[in-house]
Order: sequence, then structure tokens, then C-alpha cells
Amino acid sequence: MKKSSPISIINDLILEILSRLPLKSVARFRCVSKLWASMFGSPYFKELFLTRSLAKPRLLFAIVENGDEDAKACGVWSFFSLPQLEHPYEKSSSTLVAAAEFHVKFSPDNLKINHFLDLRYCSCGYASGLFYIHGNRYQARPLICNPITGRYAITPKRYTYRKAYSFFGFDPIDKQYKALSMAYSCGPGRNKILTFGSGDMRWRKIKSPLGYDLKSDGVCINGVLYYLASTERSDSDSDDMNDYLCKYDYMIVCFDVRSEKFTFIDVEKFCRLINYKGKLAMIYWEDDVDIYEICYYGKDLDEYLEKKKNLDADGTNELHVWVLEDVEKQEWSKYAYTWTDDKFFRSHVSIAGATTASGEIVFSMRNYTCKQPFYVFYFNPERKTLQRVEIQGFGEAFKQPCSVRTFVNHVEDLNVNDLELLKSFHPPLVEPEYVESDSESDYDNWS
Amino acid sequence: MSSNMIMLKSSDGASFEIEEAAARKSKIIANMIEVECVDEDKAIPLQNVTGNILALVIEYCNKHIVDDDDDVATEEASEEEEEAKKKKVDDWEAEFMNSMSLETMFELLLAANYLNIKSLIDLVCQTIANNIKDKTPEEVRKIFSIENDFTPEEEEEIRKENAWAFG
Repeated sequence: MKKSSPISIINDLILEILSRLPLKSVARFRCVSKLWASMFGSPYFKELFLTRSLAKPRLLFAIVENGDEDAKACGVWSFFSLPQLEHPYEKSSSTLVAAAEFHVKFSPDNLKINHFLDLRYCSCGYASGLFYIHGNRYQARPLICNPITGRYAITPKRYTYRKAYSFFGFDPIDKQYKALSMAYSCGPGRNKILTFGSGDMRWRKIKSPLGYDLKSDGVCINGVLYYLASTERSDSDSDDMNDYLCKYDYMIVCFDVRSEKFTFIDVEKFCRLINYKGKLAMIYWEDDVDIYEICYYGKDLDEYLEKKKNLDADGTNELHVWVLEDVEKQEWSKYAYTWTDDKFFRSHVSIAGATTASGEIVFSMRNYTCKQPFYVFYFNPERKTLQRVEIQGFGEAFKQPCSVRTFVNHVEDLNVNDLELLKSFHPPLVEPEYVESDSESDYDNWS
Repeated sequence: MSSNMIMLKSSDGASFEIEEAAARKSKIIANMIEVECVDEDKAIPLQNVTGNILALVIEYCNKHIVDDDDDVATEEASEEEEEAKKKKVDDWEAEFMNSMSLETMFELLLAANYLNIKSLIDLVCQTIANNIKDKTPEEVRKIFSIENDFTPEEEEEIRKENAWAFG
């Protein structure tokens, strides 16, 4: 080998190097040469890149500014990510610090999709690299976007009565994304589904055997979308709020994204759903409350959780994790962890999910303002360790508290990046079926 | 583990003594030893590797053979110890690569490829990737001695399509 002969680095080795780059660098290096551009576009390279990415999953943060709809920053979404910690418990004695990488900040077409006070007025979904948001009924413009590149597509209008009960899933066989939008159980309108990935984007009608209220975000595992739903118990007629929280029957709705069929699993109580190492798991605290019902009464969730009488978090609590081992037989492995932590944890943190490799449960703060540090927590059920990580780099711009949605196991994938459908476009603006609510005034009384 | 020593000879004539166990990190040398074409008195000539690069390869192999030995000896070791050990190796590798110029890294990569040392190929590729990830396309062309064969219009088009990556 002659000295200074990097040119002679053979192509295979160049591929080995380039497949280890971040997605952003790959996109930037497309204009290095024609050879490189075609290499990056080849199925072989995409596969190699994906294999490497799968080994370094990331935490994805979606930050949205809420509040006054007239405010300029309202409904502006910002996306950040950073590598998930592999062995966070190594230095479990102290708080770790990690820097998040900024991706995009936008409010496409001034849509101002935001939580609008009640978490049921805005749905977010994350599936296989893409992010889906559906704001309240007045906005009616669900959006699918790539949180890394900022490319997006706005779906045809989808008016819903009262709530944005929307989910997003990915079918790994046909490689199609679908958005599912369920009608409010006590209102007019139909359940609809939209296929994102081929042909025209349009909302199709879809039949669901039951009417129910929705009580969670969706979790998509291997082409099945899971979410929690509830129906009112027939034997309860109390109007007292505390009774009200107990008057529901809960079930997990399983929606097969490919066949578009629904099945149901009964569960005893309100819980959060996560992907636990490829299996569905339900998580709940011993004294958990149905946070959706708190919102229903127009209460501020943070305020409610702050109140000591509502949450006995100073004492010992138990965190329950049930893993669905067999969907057919509905067999659960049940784990419980004694939890001693300050009130902070319970009132400011939500469950983001579990890491693929080691099954650590990731908790994330729900709100961010630049005035306070932002933390995520890795809980290792086997070791019973809790590692706090301060996330820096969200920036100084967020003066008012913003909602943060945190997603685990984001994997950089060139196939997702090159999706032809995400060229920042809108469908033709045809007037869709509009469910005119005849109880507009009801709305104000109820919320 | 055997402590047989073997000799390696670089393209510029430098000789290196290395434990057989360490040399076996190289699939090529391991194969040579298997088929017994290694003469105990004679050095193995490595025509594609210069002395200064071979010294780095040997340093790497020596470091990692110790770890492999440990793996066998401490099957009972707790997970924590395993992690501590992995951390130590990671730190050593970071230090090892840290002082190297990009040019040396490429030479080391070629040597690792020629000698077929998978873990060293992985390490060097990742280090080069980290090194170039924030560079501009112009800088990357220089590093890899690539000529830009796009017309200005074509390049502009690609830059526009990937504008998000230039921020």
C-alpha cells in the first residue's frame, strides 16, 4: 500500500463507513458525486443503514406550544432526538446530562394543531419513523410528517364531532401506514380510515363492532395497533366525580392494520399501554386514576396531580407491569415494583415506552419550559434501578410551558426519508362529509 | 492459552513479535496457523502493511486478546463487572483512535481489511464516520479524492431536495 492513498479504499469499505453516518449526513452527502448519490439510493445501502440504525435507537421528542390560539407560537411543533442510553444504570448514582439534537420546528400552513386544553382534542401517533397529528374538530386537517426532515402531507379534511380520536399504525407486510379516526361514541359521524402509502389519500368508512370512549394513545406493534377504550358501566348512576372515575369497564382494542379487523381484550382498570420488547404491556400505578376523566371535568391535569390528596405519592406505591405473553389465550405475566419516590415523579412524568434491547421503561416529563431542567427517567424493572437524565438543548425559546410527547425506539431509516408521499403537499381541497353538530352550545356546557 | 510467539514482517521490512493468541485476531493469520504454513523461525511477510500501521494493529490485537481471555475465565462474572469491563475497552478504543489522523485511519482500515480483523474494521469505520459526519460535501470530496461530476444545476437540485440536512 502506498502512503496517502485513501482513494484506493475499496467501495465495500466506503459503504461500511457511510452506513454508520447519521441520516442527516447521508442526505447532505448525496451531492458529493453521482456514484455516492446512486449508492445512497440503492436497496443494499438502505438495508445496511437500517441494520446499523436498529442498533442505536433514539428518543424522539415532539414539543408543542399550547395556549391561546391567537398567539403566534401556538400550535408550533418542534422535534428533537438523541440516542437512547444503552446502560444507564452504570452511573446510577448521579444525574446524567445528554444533549438533544434539533430537527425541525414548524406549523405547516398555519394549522395550529395543539392540545387545546383537553388532551382528547388532539391526537398524536408515532409509527415506524412517521408522526401523525390530528387537532380539534375546527382544524380538521390531520397531518403526517417526518419529524426529522420536516416533510409532511396534509390529509383530506376529517371533521369529527367533539374529539380527535385518532391513531396511526404501520403494516410491516405491505409497508403501509394507516391513520384510524374513530367517531365519538355519543355523537354523530362515522369511523374512518386512511391509507398512506399508495394511491389517493382519502378517508374510507370502516366498521367497528362497538361504541366506546377512548382512553389512551395508540401503540403499534408488528402491524397491530392497540389502544385503551372504556364503556360506561350500566350499574352506576352517580354523578359524584370520584364515583365517576370508577364507573367504567375498560378494554384494549386491537386493530390489525393490514386486515382492518378489530378484536378486544378486557382489562380490569385504567392503564397505559406500551410496547415491551415486542409485546404489549399495560402499566398502572396502584392508585392510578383515569386521567382522561379528569380532563373531562375540565380540570387541569397538572393541577389535579399536584394536589396531595389526589395522589398518595409520598408514601410507597406500586408500579404494575403486565406483559401480554399470549394474545390468543390472553395470558399475562404480571410484575409489581415497589416504588418510593417523591411527588415530583408521579405528577410531572408520563410513560414514554420501553427500550427495545433491555426493556427499560422510559418516563418523560410532560411539560417543558426553558426556566426548568427537563428530565427523562430510565427504570430497569429487573435491577429496580432508576436513572435520571437531564436533557439539554431544547433551547431558550420556550418561555411558556409546552407539552412534550416523548417516543422511544425511533430508528433512522432511509426508506422513510425517501417516501414520495412526503413532499410537503396538500390534497385537493374538496369539501368532505361534514358532520354538523346540532349541539354546538352543548359543547360549552360540557367542557 | 498458549503463549507461542510468532513473527510478523511489514512491507518496509520491520519485524514484530506477537503472541500467537493475539495474532489469531486476524482471520488470515489464524488460517495460516491452522494449515501450518507458519514456519516457527521465519516471519510472516505482510506485503500490504507498513511498519507504523502494523505496530498499531499489534497494539490493538494485544489489548483485545487480554479481554478475550477474561471472557473465558470469568463466565461467572456478574453483569455489572461485564459492563465495567466493556466500558474499560470502550475507553481504551476511544483513546487509541483519538490521536490518529484521518489518513492513518484509512491506512489502518485497509490493513484491518487485508488481515481480516472484523472488530477493528468496525471500530475504524465508526471513527471515520464520526469524523466526517459534520463536514460539508466539498470537504468530503477532498477527503475521499472524489471529483464532483454533477453540473451546478444538478447539484443545486439535490441540495434543494435535501435542504433540511444543510441547516
